[in-house]
Amino acid sequence: MSAIKSLQTWAKESFPLDLDVLKEMSSEPIPYHLKRWWFAVGGTPLYLFVIQAVTGIMLTFYYVPEPAEAYNSVARITNEVPFGWYLRSIHKWSANLMVAAVILHMLRVFFTSAYRKPREFNWMIGAGLLLTSCVFGFTGYSLIYEQISYWAAVVGTNIAEATPLIGGWLANFARGGPEVGANTLTRFFVFHIGVLPTVMVILLVLHVVQIRLHGVTRLRFDERGEPGVGLSISVSAPVTPMEFREGSAGAATKEEKSPTFPFYPDHFYTELIIGLVLTFLLTILTLVAPAHLGEPANPLVTPEHIKPEWYFYATFRWLKLTSFAIGVIGTMIFVLVFIFWPFIDRWLVRRYPAKEISFWVGVAGFAIYMIFTLWEAFV
Amino acid sequence: MLSLETKRLIIAIMSFFFLAALLIVGYVEAKRSIPGQKPKIVISDDNRKCIECHSQPGNATTLVEQWKDSYHARLGVGCLECHAAEKDDIDAFDHYTYTIATIVSPKDCSRCHKKQFEEFQRSHHAQGGKILGSLDNVLAEVVAGSVHMGNPVAVSGCKQCHGSVVNFLRNEDCTVKKDRNGIAMIDPETWPNTGIGRVNPDGSLGSCAACHNRHYFSVAQAREPDDCGKCHLGPDHPQYEIYRESKHGINFIAHKDKMNLDKRPWIVGKDYVAAPTCATCHMGATPNQESTHDVGMRISWTLRPAVSEKVDAKDLKEGKQTVPWEKRRENMQDVCYQCHSKQYVQSFYKQYDDVVILYNEKFGKPATAIMSKIKAGGLITTDVEFDEKIEWTYYYLWHHEGRRARMGASMMGPDYTQWHGMFEAGDRFYTEFVPEVREVIAEGRKHGQAAAASEVEKLLNEVLNSELHQWYAGKMSPEEKAARKKAQEEFKKRYVGN
Repeated sequence: MSAIKSLQTWAKESFPLDLDVLKEMSSEPIPYHLKRWWFAVGGTPLYLFVIQAVTGIMLTFYYVPEPAEAYNSVARITNEVPFGWYLRSIHKWSANLMVAAVILHMLRVFFTSAYRKPREFNWMIGAGLLLTSCVFGFTGYSLIYEQISYWAAVVGTNIAEATPLIGGWLANFARGGPEVGANTLTRFFVFHIGVLPTVMVILLVLHVVQIRLHGVTRLRFDERGEPGVGLSISVSAPVTPMEFREGSAGAATKEEKSPTFPFYPDHFYTELIIGLVLTFLLTILTLVAPAHLGEPANPLVTPEHIKPEWYFYATFRWLKLTSFAIGVIGTMIFVLVFIFWPFIDRWLVRRYPAKEISFWVGVAGFAIYMIFTLWEAFV
Repeated sequence: MLSLETKRLIIAIMSFFFLAALLIVGYVEAKRSIPGQKPKIVISDDNRKCIECHSQPGNATTLVEQWKDSYHARLGVGCLECHAAEKDDIDAFDHYTYTIATIVSPKDCSRCHKKQFEEFQRSHHAQGGKILGSLDNVLAEVVAGSVHMGNPVAVSGCKQCHGSVVNFLRNEDCTVKKDRNGIAMIDPETWPNTGIGRVNPDGSLGSCAACHNRHYFSVAQAREPDDCGKCHLGPDHPQYEIYRESKHGINFIAHKDKMNLDKRPWIVGKDYVAAPTCATCHMGATPNQESTHDVGMRISWTLRPAVSEKVDAKDLKEGKQTVPWEKRRENMQDVCYQCHSKQYVQSFYKQYDDVVILYNEKFGKPATAIMSKIKAGGLITTDVEFDEKIEWTYYYLWHHEGRRARMGASMMGPDYTQWHGMFEAGDRFYTEFVPEVREVIAEGRKHGQAAAASEVEKLLNEVLNSELHQWYAGKMSPEEKAARKKAQEEFKKRYVGN
């Protein structure tokens, strides 16, 4: 007993943590609407990022970032390293799911107007996380150094070259020279395993800190009694978090009477279920469609069809439809509008208070993205 | 919205599913073959005893090592699964507490490979051992060899491909002789033998090891053209050489690494596209038909006899039910269509049919009819084969040159169709067979067989005056002569005149 006591004393001295503070931290009040699981998927990208970090570190044990060996090392990982095929497939699928999850999360935030004051900055951090995820995907895809991924890197850096003013510098910086080669691979590798994870972690911390500072956005729902209609989110007049924090007098439903619940255990369980579903889904995906390996890169032979990863399909289709310069400028404008949307939205609401312009801009933007993506996928 | 209890239940269920999925991952990893690393094999306790002894130097260790590399070993199909025998099997013997037999017959293999066994048993391959009455056998056992010296030509030659009738050495009381270890003594004139039509002690026909060599039993090896080339080669049936000359063979050699030869199943157009092997066309799976071990199911002509017939003709003459040649050709064309257009395939078959029909009409049928008349008239001995020059000449004409021409056309080997085939058949017919027939006629007249000789002469004249041979008697039609002359002049202008 005395040994245990002295161990406890040592632990308290070594880690002077206030358990009450920890308890309070883990009891962050969560808005009632998060009891609906589909509002709880904001943590999904974080899960997937952690999975990618773990599998990525393991893959780095075997990956060789030089043109002569890159493809062979990926082949060794796929064919020879114990469970290498599984780790590589998990890494690939979690990357794809992460981009999809971020897009879905941003759609939810957009259509519930959760980016509005005071959360404009957090939307911008979120946009940064999506862009970082895309660059992650682009650099990771290129590291495989198979024919199709090599040429995707060539096309990608050529597109970067068309950026006004800084294009030449940007492309040269990314490639480490005028062509995709050994320097490019080294730079992409450094970005993929060093720079981007650091940026991602910083943005994630900022994102979560912002969520903790502002609290999770509370949403108001219209409870309609008609069968089959169910619950619908009030989009036209979203409640700002500040308003919500004050509570709603005269509320009739349980939800409105008790607008929050503690993070642990209820929400923790929800997140655990989502995590388990994700890991199960990832494992099934790796079994049904493991990451395959195409022909090795051949810089002398341009393949008939060059395809980037699916999340660049819409951009790729857009670039095919326009001239190169207009395509790149258009993409840049889209990205800037996307990042600064909360401020544009505020201006639109002030200018046209009675109209739901932001909602329809979102619908149109997403519809165009989907149409372009599917168009590119099936051509 | 779910209660905490429900959530806990879902967590438990999902954890179970996730663990199950991880178990599948572990299974896939365990079953995965890693290049350069030997796959995991399964050795039962019983088989371990066999392996321990047979891993001692000088005790047939290589067969154990080969087996360890086999697909059988990965599935745990070991020594006893194939060699175990019943006490009353004629070749059974006790071997360290186990009853086993040396010979593993197709019937033994059928314990697991039932479909392949049944297909093989009804195939032409399975009938390969029944050649005792053939002319080829006379050559091996009488002309080239001798039954007085143990029949070595047939034993080490013919029967190693065709298969022997496996017999046992017998005591005076007809019981099977056993050696001092109690092992049944197989007649060394009939075994070792892995001929395709071996007649086994259990009554089954053939030997799976004819194609799937012991003890790898490799499906990939059996799909290699070299495997068929053990028997299908040489002057009388050079299918292997013809294949090597054909575009199919050239592609195979050039792209062998893309053939996925060990794939199960092995579907042309899906698992490989580089080239067909013998197994592809005669046995292989396509998206529309399963693989088969009945190798006659895609063949439409018999190219073996002196005069070719459609492959179902013999059965129909005997009133037997059989698969019509049209259906068999359809089966083969289904394989062709995986790589070629319909017009291409149909046109190829026209070219092939034309060669077979030409050979039949020009050399096969006339020479056979003349030989029959010579024998019927008693102009040569009928009770002794190959004692006269003309018998050898006729034999070469259909058995060697005639087959080469037909087989060359069947498998896209142009040199075998013409120079090793029809050209040599023509040479044999005009410069040897016809003069020898005339000699037989003259000899017949000299020896009082004028009527028979005249009958043969009449037939010979009919043949030589027919459209196909009239050039030989200088009776080519003026139109044909003019066309030939014109072609010759053009050729000379191009290559000789300038």
